Amino acid sequence: MAGVGGGNDFQWCFSQVKGAIDEDVAEADIISTVEFNYSGELLATGDKGGRVVIFQREQESKNRPLSRGEYNVYSTFQSHEPEFDYLKSLEIEEKINKIRWLPQQNAAHFLLSTNDKTIKLWKISERDKRAEGYNLKDEDGRLRDPFRISTLRVPVLMPMDLMVEASPRRIFANAHTYHINSISVNSDHETYLSADDLRINLWHLEITDRSFNIVDIKPANMEELTEVITAAECHPHQCNVFVYSSSKGTIRLCDMRAAALCDRHSKFFEEPEDPSSRSFFSEIISSISDVKFSHSGRYMMTRDYLSVKVWDLNMENRPVETYQVHEYLRSKLCSLYENDCIFDKFECCWNGSDSAIMTGSYNNFFRMFDRNTRRDITLEASRENSKPRATLKPRKVCTGGKRKKDEISVDSLDFNKKILHTAWHPKENVIAVAATNNLYIFQDKMN
Amino acid sequence: MVARGLKRKLHDSEDSRGSFWETQLQSVLDISLDKYQRDQALVEPSLLRSVLINNTLRQVQSEVRTSLTEPTSAWKPQPPPRPQPEFLSQREIEDFSLSSAISAILKNLDAALDGGYNPPPSTLLPPPPQRTPLASVENLPGDGKFKQNLGFTHMMESCRTSSVGTSAVVSGIFQESTIDDLLMDLDTSVFGREMSSFAPHTFSFPADELMRYLPSLSTSSPAPSSSSGSREIHELEQIMDILIRS
Repeated sequence: MAGVGGGNDFQWCFSQVKGAIDEDVAEADIISTVEFNYSGELLATGDKGGRVVIFQREQESKNRPLSRGEYNVYSTFQSHEPEFDYLKSLEIEEKINKIRWLPQQNAAHFLLSTNDKTIKLWKISERDKRAEGYNLKDEDGRLRDPFRISTLRVPVLMPMDLMVEASPRRIFANAHTYHINSISVNSDHETYLSADDLRINLWHLEITDRSFNIVDIKPANMEELTEVITAAECHPHQCNVFVYSSSKGTIRLCDMRAAALCDRHSKFFEEPEDPSSRSFFSEIISSISDVKFSHSGRYMMTRDYLSVKVWDLNMENRPVETYQVHEYLRSKLCSLYENDCIFDKFECCWNGSDSAIMTGSYNNFFRMFDRNTRRDITLEASRENSKPRATLKPRKVCTGGKRKKDEISVDSLDFNKKILHTAWHPKENVIAVAATNNLYIFQDKMN
Repeated sequence: MVARGLKRKLHDSEDSRGSFWETQLQSVLDISLDKYQRDQALVEPSLLRSVLINNTLRQVQSEVRTSLTEPTSAWKPQPPPRPQPEFLSQREIEDFSLSSAISAILKNLDAALDGGYNPPPSTLLPPPPQRTPLASVENLPGDGKFKQNLGFTHMMESCRTSSVGTSAVVSGIFQESTIDDLLMDLDTSVFGREMSSFAPHTFSFPADELMRYLPSLSTSSPAPSSSSGSREIHELEQIMDILIRS
């Protein structure tokens, strides 16, 4: 089958799966965010239990030239703990909402992780040497009696087993009244923004005791609130530009040079509503759950409940491309409203060359769209297709009439198996797909 | 499975549009109210979710208003037309009741998030926790407390009575003893937390106040009296049935 993301011979195959096989999924193990770093060497996941697990790709070895490097656990740490806000009698969830890597500047790696209220900057560093031969303490660490020291010696660095340490370097707290939904590192590598339902703040990475509020859509009278911020991102090249999306399906692009408070947008992106498809659920399904700039910075992509749209930043009145993710759900919206699935927030991502986009769906299906060939493919992340280097077979949902062999009917879809978080390696055709508590890694067949 | 979303065509026949749309409207209204009530019981409902549900309820409300204003005219895909003057007070009341209920949700959430009065931790089942009466009253004109509490019940009540109709029935219904019966019939779960901030076991609303907030029945359009026997305000299906047929 002609593939997506590469040439005609392109096919995706299974590489690895991480996580427990148990049918009973512990709530804390549910993966809530997935992110490759800038080089693709590291892959970070956050879960509902507040933990971050970082995988590192092993170097391609001469012994196994045909297989790409596998991702193995590099570091695991508890990023956020559950907290209790005594003033408001509210529990603050430790679930990691987003992880964003900082560009690497030295041997250590830095990432930002956030829960609903607090953002933390973590430093992940390697230690493979330790000093031996201290004067004031012996090898066990006990202090030596200074009066018994008769000679001085210089400590020597000795190799030790590699240890990867994660330490919190900055804690950015108490700046958000509402729940943080996005963080985004700016292209200046000095600042980043954090967005909650009603406000967006700009931080300096070195300064934790204050931030600048750059967007505030809270009305004076909360009764007038009809729209909230759902996602925000910094432009990949222009450090003065950022966008934020809303629950009404609009995107606003703001220029921080224009004013200190960016309540007035520079550009306003909205597609006019199609009156023939209007329903009670039109607004809910238009709510944007994710917005991502292309690597080039020329386009941005938004995900709403049923579709993915690619926008040209130079054209505000409609997207340049629209891809239907699971249009067969349109007739089921009432049931999906009832069981809350309509509020699921799917993410989307670009491949490294911006030629393909990927997003998740239900029944552990995920979809990829090739922007050049206009081909699309539906794949499934499941344990059944988990043989090493097994090619993934395209899946199809039968929307009516006779169900062909290997097709699955809409009513048989498992709406509890949702793929909300996916990530694409920045340079290669390697993808990470989070299916509840399991992380699947797929690679292209061509080596 | 409910059928696909509403398509409004200018020349759609009354019947096919009516039953279809009616079913959807009922479902959406039921589900939305259920979600609203459940979220009210949460200590910290998601703001995005609350806003989306509230906007859906507002849309349902405007559809109801449209159907009452133009019961037999063709549908327009645009927002509902201006209501006619004779319905104005009723619309205002409905509008106000529903939006006051919606604003109650948002005020509550805001109060909780902004560190206002601290409600004790709540459960989804009764007894419901205290809400923040002062915070909500601040924002509403007039008898904020009272109007707010009757929230959805008001909408239902005003919708229902508007369709019932004849003046003979009117005078029969709104005698004092009947008002007490009405109040006893009210589903207290609709009040949710509001009730606990008032005298918990007594309905102390004077009957004439209740009268003020009910629509002027002499202006209501004629309607089948199929529901005149039913006093159960919380049976939304019957109410919506009447609305559609009227």
